[in-house]
Amino acid sequence: MTVPVTRKPFFRRRKTCPFSEPDGIPIDYKDVKLLQRFTTERGKMIPSRITSVSQKKQRELSQAIKRARFLALMPYVLD
Amino acid sequence: MTFYETVFVARQELSAAQVETLAATMTDILATGQGEVTKTEFCGLRTLAYSIKKNRKGHYVLFNIQAPSAAVKEMERQMRLNEDILRFLTIKVDTLDPEPSALMQTKQNRDRRYEGLGGHEEYRPYEGGRE
Repeated sequence: MTVPVTRKPFFRRRKTCPFSEPDGIPIDYKDVKLLQRFTTERGKMIPSRITSVSQKKQRELSQAIKRARFLALMPYVLD
Repeated sequence: MTFYETVFVARQELSAAQVETLAATMTDILATGQGEVTKTEFCGLRTLAYSIKKNRKGHYVLFNIQAPSAAVKEMERQMRLNEDILRFLTIKVDTLDPEPSALMQTKQNRDRRYEGLGGHEEYRPYEGGRE
C-alpha cells in the first residue's frame, strides 16, 4: 500500500509497532501509565488495528492489562 | 530454583509497620522452604481502581523471589488464609529486575521514564481515527 506524501484530509501516523523495535518499550503489567495509552477512557482495550501494535505484542499487552486489572491497578469498567 | 514475582495488596487499615511485618512473615515462609526474596518493594498506599471487600485503598508490596515451587505454593496458601491480604498475583519470570519497578516510579519521578522514547510521547492511538 502506497502512502501519499501530500497532506490528505487526515494525517497519516507512522505505522509501526511501538514495542517491536529492538530497543522497544518492555510491556509490564505494573506500568499502568503505559498500559493506559492502549485503553479507552472507559477502560476498554483499543484494538491493534488502530494502535498498530503487532499481533504478538498485542497478546502480551492484553495479558498485561488483564493482570493490572486483577490487581486493581486498572479498572475493568469506568462509567 | 525458579524466579518469581509476587505482588500483593494489603488492607488499607494496616499501618506501614504492620505491612512490613506481614511482608517479613511471607519472607520467612519462603525461607523455610529454601527460598529467597531478592527484592522487596513497599509501594505504599495506592487508590484501588475498584473497591475490593469494601476497601478503596491498599498497600502494594512487590517481591522478587528465587525459590522452589513448593515454597511459593506454601506462601500462596498462607496469603489465601490471611485476611489482611486482599489480592496477590505470582508470576514466573525469566529474569529478576533489580531496578525499582514501575509501581514505584509512578510515585516518584512522574514523566522521566517516557522522555527520549523516540516519539512515543506523541503516540496517541486515537489520532486520525479509523482509516
